Parts: sequence; C-alpha cells; structure tokens
Amino acid sequence: MRFRGLFLFVMLLSLCTVSTLFAKTRIRCASTTSTQNSGLFEYLLPIVEKDTGIKVDVVAVGTGAALEIGKRGDADVVFVHAKDDELKMVREGYFVDRHDVMYNDFVIVGPPGDPADIKGMKKAVNAFRKLSTEKVIFVSRGDNSGTYKKELKIWKIAHIDPKGRKWYLEVGQGMGKTLRIANEKKAYTLTDRGTWLALQDKEHLDMVIMVQGDKMLFNQYGVMAVNPLKHKYVKYKEALRFINFLISPKGQKTIAGFTESHGEQLFHPDAK
Amino acid sequence: MYGILISFEKAFELILSLNRELAGIVVLSLLVSGAAIVIASLLGIVFSYVLAFRRFPFKGFLTNLLNTSMGLPPVVVGLFLYLLLSRNGPLGFMGLLYTPSAMVIAQIILAFPIIAAMSHAAIVMVKPNIRLAALGLGATDIQASVAVIRDARYGIISSVMAGLGRVMAEVGAVLIVGGNIAGYTRVMTTTIALEYDKGNFELAIALGIILLLISLFLNAALFLFQRKVYR
Amino acid sequence: MNIVLKDVSKSYNGAAALKNCSAMISKGIINAVIGPNGSGKSTMVRIASLLEPADSGEVRYGGSHAEPQNDISFRRKIAVVLPGDSLFNDTVFNNLAYGLKIRKMKKALIRERVTELLEKFQLSDKSYSSIRTLSSGEAQRVAVARALAVKPQYLFLDEPTASLDPVNTGIIENVLHGVNTERGITILMVTHNMFQAGRIAGRIIFMYGGRVIEESGSSEFFANPGHEITRNFLNGKMVW
Repeated sequence: MRFRGLFLFVMLLSLCTVSTLFAKTRIRCASTTSTQNSGLFEYLLPIVEKDTGIKVDVVAVGTGAALEIGKRGDADVVFVHAKDDELKMVREGYFVDRHDVMYNDFVIVGPPGDPADIKGMKKAVNAFRKLSTEKVIFVSRGDNSGTYKKELKIWKIAHIDPKGRKWYLEVGQGMGKTLRIANEKKAYTLTDRGTWLALQDKEHLDMVIMVQGDKMLFNQYGVMAVNPLKHKYVKYKEALRFINFLISPKGQKTIAGFTESHGEQLFHPDAK
Repeated sequence: MYGILISFEKAFELILSLNRELAGIVVLSLLVSGAAIVIASLLGIVFSYVLAFRRFPFKGFLTNLLNTSMGLPPVVVGLFLYLLLSRNGPLGFMGLLYTPSAMVIAQIILAFPIIAAMSHAAIVMVKPNIRLAALGLGATDIQASVAVIRDARYGIISSVMAGLGRVMAEVGAVLIVGGNIAGYTRVMTTTIALEYDKGNFELAIALGIILLLISLFLNAALFLFQRKVYR
Repeated sequence: MNIVLKDVSKSYNGAAALKNCSAMISKGIINAVIGPNGSGKSTMVRIASLLEPADSGEVRYGGSHAEPQNDISFRRKIAVVLPGDSLFNDTVFNNLAYGLKIRKMKKALIRERVTELLEKFQLSDKSYSSIRTLSSGEAQRVAVARALAVKPQYLFLDEPTASLDPVNTGIIENVLHGVNTERGITILMVTHNMFQAGRIAGRIIFMYGGRVIEESGSSEFFANPGHEITRNFLNGKMVW
C-alpha cells in the first residue's frame, strides 16, 4: 500500500512539473471560435512568438464565455468582437488597455431562391423586418456569441421580438454548425464573412449572400488585458506586449496580410 | 456517397503522411488518457476492494452513488471542475486550469466510477475462500488482498478497458478544462470537434480512424491476453 | 509442539460457534476432528491455525503464552487447506507456487519443488491447465499439494476428501500419511468419515455443540468411548 501511495504521488508530481515547465513565457488568450475557425491564429501566433517571444495559448469559446473566463482571471488577455460589452466591462474594472484591432463584417445569407425577396437590400434592419413579415425560417446562433449579440441588436432596432416564433430557430451552436443547419433547412442566417468564406469554399453550401455592406453589419474586434489589480497572478506585462504588437504598424500589416484560400482579405486592421 | 469516399481517401492520405501536428495530438491523447487511467485504476481498484471487504458507515449509499456516477455527463464534470480550478475557485491557486493536468483530473473523475463499480462487481464474485486460502498459505494481509484482486483480474481488466474507452472517446470535459489549446491541450476528440466546426472533415475523419484503430488494438490485445490465460 | 486451545469462544453475528472450547492437538501425529454438522469443527480449525482471532480464550503453540495473531514468520510455519473450492483462478502450477512466491523463493527452486509435488499427487500432466478444467478430485489434490508445497510444520485440513471417490481419497491419504511419518509434521484434519479417521489418525477429537466432548488416542476412542453423546454418534443414532 505504501508503495502505491508513493507511486501515485510521484505521478502527480511529475504531471505538475510538466505543466509548469510548459507554462514559462506563455500567456493565455480567451477568444472566439469564429476567430479560431477562420485560421487567423494559426497564421498570426507564430509571427507573434517570433517578434515578442511570447507563446499565446488560445482558448476558443463563445464570446460570452471568453469574457467570463477573462473576468474570472482564467485568461490573461481577451480577444473578442462585442464592443459594447467590452467597453462596459472595462468601465466595471475587469479589463484594462482595450484597443480596437480589426474588423470584418457580417453578411445575411440565404437560399438562392430568396423566398423573402431581400437580396440586394441596403439596410440590415429592413431585411430583418421583411424576413419576419414573410415568416421564412431564420436560424439563429442563440448562444451568447458576438454574432448572436449583433443579431439581437438588429432585431431590437427593427422593433421585432423573434423569440418563440415558429420561423425562428435558436440552435445554440457555433457559426459553422449554424450555417450547415441553415443550409439543410433552406433558411436565412446572419454570419461573419470569414466563416462564410471558409465554409463556402470547403463545403459548397447552397446559399448566397443577400445583404452586405451596411455599417450596421460591421464586426469590430477588440483586444484587452485582464485587470492585474483584480487578479494579481495574471501576466499583465506579457499581455501588454501582445496587445502592443497587435496594434503596432507591423501587427496591423500582418493582419491585413491574412487571406483565405482565394486571396480574399478576411480582416481589416483599424487600430487607432 | 462519392463525397464520403473522397473524404476517407484524403483522411488515409493524412494518416499515412504522418503529419507532425497530428502525431503530437495522438501522443498527447494517449499520455493524458494513459495517466488518467493508471491513477483511476489504482484508486478504483483499492476503493472497490475496501467497498467489498470493509465495513464502514454509509456503505450502501456510497455504492449507490458510485453506480449512479458511472453515467456522469462529461460536460457536467467539466463544468464542475472548471469552477473548482478557476482562479476564482477553491483550487484556483494551483493554476491547473487549461493544462494537461486538468484534463487528467477530469478523466480520472470520469473513469473512476466505472473502474471502481465494475471492479467491485468482479471482486465480490471471487470465491469467499480465496482470501483465507492465501492467509492459510502464509500470506500477509496485503498479500491476501492482492490475491483476491488477482483472482478478479479479468473483470478488473475489463473495467479498466471500459474506463479507457470512456475517457478516450470523451470530449465535453477535456474541452472545458483543457481549452483545446493548440499544441498544448488539444487531443483527438477536441480536434475532431474543432475540425468539424471548421469544415475540415478529412482531418476529423483521419483522427476518428486513428481513435478507432487504437481502441481496436487495445481490445484485440485484451482478447488475446484473456484467451491465453483461459486456455 | 502440541497445540493447545484454552477456553476459546467465537461467535458470528451473535450466533456462538465455539463455547469455551478447549482441545489439544498432539505434535507429530495426525489428529482427526469429527463431529456432527454445526459442532464448530471448521471454526476450531480457523482459530487453531491462526487464520482468525478468538473472541476470548487463547491458542498456544507449545509455549506458555498465546500466539500473537499477526506474527507472519510464525504463521508461515502453518498451512491450511480450506473446505470446498479455494483454488486461485489460475494454472495448477501457479496455485502450487503461490506460497513459495510470497516467501520470495528462487524461481528454479520453486519449479523443482512444484514439479516434485505434482508427481506425488499424479498431476504432472495438468501443470499448465487452468483450475477450471479440473475434476473435483484433481482440484482437491491441488489444494492439498499447494499447502504441502510450503513445507509446513503444522498442517490443517478441513474435509480434504469430502465427496471424493476412493481413488482420489487414497492418493491424498497416502501423501498425508507419508509426510507425517517422514517429516513428523503435525496434522489436524476435519473429516466426516469415521472410517477415514480410524484409518489414518493417531488421535481423535470429537466435537459437539461448539466444544470438545472427548479426545483420546484413536484405538482408545473407538474401542472405549467415554461419553454418552460420543457413543450415540458412533452408533449412528444421532441425526446430523
């Protein structure tokens, strides 16, 4: 028995050492699945590591979860796209050093037949109104993500409460899955352009872009550090180095250089 | 149908090309699940033995609890562990969240009830004389306990395999407490989920095939082992 | 050394199995314990062989003090064959080797001794068979051989030949008789078979109701039973 206890202890100890060894110049970044799925991090992070010497571990979850993880101090830096919420939490003292980094845009997509006849409309709000009066199926993320928050904002401005309507499906899934569901159901949905392009390229969804280019549909990405006064152990200095790289001319140029496979730029840097 | 075949073809190409990233993911999966299973087995077997032979209060309740927790939903375990290990949580000072250690702990919690409950079933099936027989041949208390466990070894090995199957196939808990960090806490199942999200079905299928091959291999090894001894 | 039980009592879940039982097991000979079912024979074996502690009373191996329960080096002079199936779920060879392995004996020596015993018990061709494939006679032979493998000074057997045919019974009796005369080990054997007791035992211990009613030399016991209950038992008048 004594031998087993010892063995167990050694096992646990070695596990702990392994994890601390790994933990040296790493910082943890809570971000969103859509950012990760676009492939941006795979492209960007090796460059960050080379330039700043910091290895960034990305935990990709929904925007809501990413903000929560940051608030709890389980990450050092947060990189999401929900500007209103971000600013609110900065005011509440959870985060510091928030900066705009880049934007991409949302598009409304739907079946090529366009049963609601919204194709080419200029205003997203008007398109949403039309969708609700035509009662065509609309698939919503329904998951507290940045995309979902944007969608709710548009509904709100349009003075429509879609919750519980027969044509309104809240699926509680990531963007990729939501697009697939919309495709299967010949429905409309709101998506970020990055995921749309990536998925369209690989799976040839039977859908087309209906509405795009409305300022309302801009998707602002921001980065901010967890407030070291709230959580003493966060790696604030390293987080700041990461943030400063992202908003530096070199970082901005790097982001602009990220393209999907057909050469289309996915994110537009706009740090001030 | 054609599309599926193409996906599989590409998946096999990926496996054969032995991509370094892919290999790292497979190795990490095996390390995490292996460590979890070794620890869960030791704890589970000792616990099942105590449950079978010692008297203590709330034993019936504990047995019930054990059987119930065999079906613990991995996401619930993951969430619970997240709250424990989070910097704000009671164990936050250890800094284990989003590390392989956290994944090992999650998998221990998932595997332990299965191993303990199934081992317990195997140990109570051992002839009641075995313990006394060992003592009567000059065994110490511990040696006699080992003799009983040895006698239940086929059932216990099955329990360990069942536990391993559960943790290798599990995605919900390791996703939450591991964070699916590339090159650090990304294992086979979380990669499959991610690559499906990204629409990279080929990589997802390739990993699925590897996962199946591993469990096939383990089960074949078990089968051969049992046949060898039963002969 | 003679083994002495003094005022031993033992109960299980409130039911008394032994009540102030005193007995003497003579050194160097085969002692047979007989008596009806439920008379406490098996309990007496477990307590005398130090497998279980008594609730009260003491067990002495020769000396003037009670043997401590957990003195492992002393316990290793004792071997016990339990009633019924008590074999490890393993091969015949590994069953015989068990007692030697836990004594950390060298592999070559283990092999030598096990091979010798298998021969003695006519089990040589079964060495690598699983115990699941054995007949009940073979299984019982394995159980006795396994106990003898550790070369005990004291050997306890609880019904080692129960429900065996004469051939298997004969093999076991012969070996027991042999090791007893060759090595002078002390044997205590529970049996239901009075003829067997008369055949191989030098001393008979008759138990009834959780205590020893009568104990004496074998010929004396059968020729001249001193107690009413013993006489009834021997005459088959007792229902058991």
